[in-house]
Amino acid sequence: MITILYAVAGYFFLLLTVRVLARRPGAQLTMFEFVLIFLMGGVIIAATAANDRSLTNCTCAVIAVGLVHRMVAMLKARYPKLGAVVDGVPLVLRERGEWKEDVMRKMRMAPEDVAAAGRAKGIRSIDQIDYAILERSGEISTIRTEEK
Amino acid sequence: MATEPMTNPVEDTVAKVDGYVAVGEDLEFQRRWWRFERVVWTVFVLILVCDLLGLLGRGYLAKAQSKTSDQSVTMDYERIERTNTPSIITVNFGPGAIHGGEVRLFVSGSVVKELGAQRVVPQPKTSEIGDGGVTYTFEANRLPATVDIALSPSLPGIHHFTLGVPGSEMVQAKVTVLP
Repeated sequence: MITILYAVAGYFFLLLTVRVLARRPGAQLTMFEFVLIFLMGGVIIAATAANDRSLTNCTCAVIAVGLVHRMVAMLKARYPKLGAVVDGVPLVLRERGEWKEDVMRKMRMAPEDVAAAGRAKGIRSIDQIDYAILERSGEISTIRTEEK
Repeated sequence: MATEPMTNPVEDTVAKVDGYVAVGEDLEFQRRWWRFERVVWTVFVLILVCDLLGLLGRGYLAKAQSKTSDQSVTMDYERIERTNTPSIITVNFGPGAIHGGEVRLFVSGSVVKELGAQRVVPQPKTSEIGDGGVTYTFEANRLPATVDIALSPSLPGIHHFTLGVPGSEMVQAKVTVLP
């Protein structure tokens, strides 16, 4: 029983920790994020299963985490505000060709990150980017100046 | 039966930037979130500082000592422990505790149950249950005489225990076991 409580507590603690780590540019995992995922995951597993490493205990813990995840997903769909808390909101980094300095600074973004996202869409320079949006996934969407 | 034609226009409910790009940005929420992040990271740092100091167990501030007024029994223990984490209660006997080449030690049942006593070192000559605990008898002729009780608490909570030489003043202590 205690394992289920630990698993649920571990889920929400990991969710909070990952959420307060600022989004990094690029939705793909880098080696930098792999370190976090493996280390945090390993530590939570050790605390959750504790001395009871039986198949029964681990199965219950996995089911508990799965159920909590499903519940959070359902609540997210029903209450958009909760979705914003769990996943964050899209943020405009560049508006009408002007940087939004406070957002860039607080999200630890550099113009180079936006330029890289623009290059992926065939935009050659930052001057050609009218809007840049940091999506909830961590991807940066760009809109060309001439597309307006 | 014919269905009623839809009269409400389909609207894009996602908030637009400059009335042009549908982004759904909520900068007010994000500013509140940044303030919340600062609070969370402050709490995280405080947790780490508490851990380094031993306020979460296994550190300098977690260590405690209790003794009887005549110092026949001195006990070193950890006032803050963690579930399923090993620790030791060290009992040092004074000269007044040894009688006839033996020393007797009573430990309350909470040491065995709640605090999960794993073993007693050295092995006692006899063990006797009663009075809500266990009384161990050890052979002892000279000082210093020390007994270690290895613990591994299985349940979080605040646990009280009593320990001492039967017929003499007992040492009472409280241990907080963290999850």
